[in-house]
Amino acid sequence: MRSDRAFRSSSEGVAVPSILAVESISKNYGSAPVLDGLKFEQRPGEFLSIVGPSGCGKSTLLRCIASLMQPNSGSVRHKGNTFAEPPSWLSIVFQDYSRALFPWLTVRQNVAFGLHHIGSRERDERVQAAVQAVNLTHAIDLYPWQLSGGMQQRCSLARSIVVRPELLLLDEPFASVDAQTRIDLQDLVIDLSRRMNLSTLLVTHDVEEAVYMSDRIVVLSTRPARVVEEITVDLPYPRDQLATKETPDFLRLRHQVYTLIRAQAKSNNN
Amino acid sequence: MSRSWGTSALLWQLCLIGMLLAAWQVSATLWPAPYLPKLQTVLASFLNFFHGNLLFSAVLPSLYRFAIGFGVAVLLGSFIGLTLGYLRGLNEWVRPILEYLRFLPTVAILPAALLLFGATDGMRIFVIAFGSIFPVILAAMDGARRVDQVLIDVARVNGLTIPQRIFRVILPAVLPAIFAGIRIALSIALVMMVISELIAANDGLGHFILRSQRLFQTANVYAGVLLLGAIGFVLTACMLAIEGRFLAWYKGWRGAADAI
Repeated sequence: MRSDRAFRSSSEGVAVPSILAVESISKNYGSAPVLDGLKFEQRPGEFLSIVGPSGCGKSTLLRCIASLMQPNSGSVRHKGNTFAEPPSWLSIVFQDYSRALFPWLTVRQNVAFGLHHIGSRERDERVQAAVQAVNLTHAIDLYPWQLSGGMQQRCSLARSIVVRPELLLLDEPFASVDAQTRIDLQDLVIDLSRRMNLSTLLVTHDVEEAVYMSDRIVVLSTRPARVVEEITVDLPYPRDQLATKETPDFLRLRHQVYTLIRAQAKSNNN
Repeated sequence: MSRSWGTSALLWQLCLIGMLLAAWQVSATLWPAPYLPKLQTVLASFLNFFHGNLLFSAVLPSLYRFAIGFGVAVLLGSFIGLTLGYLRGLNEWVRPILEYLRFLPTVAILPAALLLFGATDGMRIFVIAFGSIFPVILAAMDGARRVDQVLIDVARVNGLTIPQRIFRVILPAVLPAIFAGIRIALSIALVMMVISELIAANDGLGHFILRSQRLFQTANVYAGVLLLGAIGFVLTACMLAIEGRFLAWYKGWRGAADAI
């Protein structure tokens, strides 16, 4: 309801309403600048990736977008409106799954965590559906520490989609799992975000992952982070780990993004 | 393998206890002395605690004061500790006072407590609570400060209000630390219970033991000491049972973390 109203109030004057508009945000830690006037937009239903050199401030950007942290200047808008607290239309999968799941709750209870305002019957159904969507039904009554890393991250993913967000933020979600698990999770996230028509914002330092998963990529500079370039990824769906990654377009995009990142890293070293 | 070791360990334990008791009994028979009563005399005194006069004048008053004093220490200590741990800014102000008070030998406040409260139940309860509250406060404080920021972020993103965050995230996360504090507090509270009954008292186990000693009722003295040991043993067993029930996840979680 709330988001409908927000949509109407902002739709006048804006041609294509963006689900997320990051407007020149800057953030300092003390006197050290981390984000330097970052500016980009995300269209509804778009899979957008933010890539940048390690330690460039990607996680800070994500915390500012989620309103877990306020930027020093600039603003973040959802369909034209600003917000001050983490809003209900957004959810996050955090990088470190072993820290982000509640060790005293089972998978079922972890996934149900954000549904505290919903009746128990509907809650049970939604939890079942979300757990099934990430293929964890067999482990639903286990505790997170009884699961492998990949299963824990799928549990985090279920907890994020069960609240039916409009925008899903992923903070390097596959950084600490093994290669095979990472590939499986990538395909799972692409599949979920297309099936649920989610707008997805992926923060990663893995160029190949960004190209493979995204509709568009925002490349950041080294700290303090600025937007270096925005690159449209027009690879067709469904994407396939082998077929897609062997197309000339994929290789060209990977080359382009990687060159930008490497140039950033070099300019930093000089 | 481990099972046969468990059985034989239990056998050895029983064996050792039996040998100690036998040594006592043999000594008491061979060299009869007023300070070394025979086991059956001590046992008869021990059983007196569980019925009639002694139950109401010694055991129950002690347990009643222990329950209130220890209960206050656990609840108030958890509350203070969580608050101080959560509001980190307060820490710098309060820490010196806490560090001072925790090293204050609690026995030393007994005369002051007697002046403040008189020879009342309230004085004894205060002494028990004061002695045992600090381990709980410090454990809860450290626990609250070590709650992972990511878990609090998860709670914020899911729209939990601050009271909801406290009850659904902070409290469960701090519970293992609080229990560690409570275990230490338990033994201190027992000590303080006995000590508080040694001055200006006319009931309680401590008073009973002291009076029996003055009347040279040695069997009663030993029986009282044995009962105190038994109370400590039973209370600790209860604590462990409660921990096993509510903190089973913690053992599994720690086990999983250690395995990595």
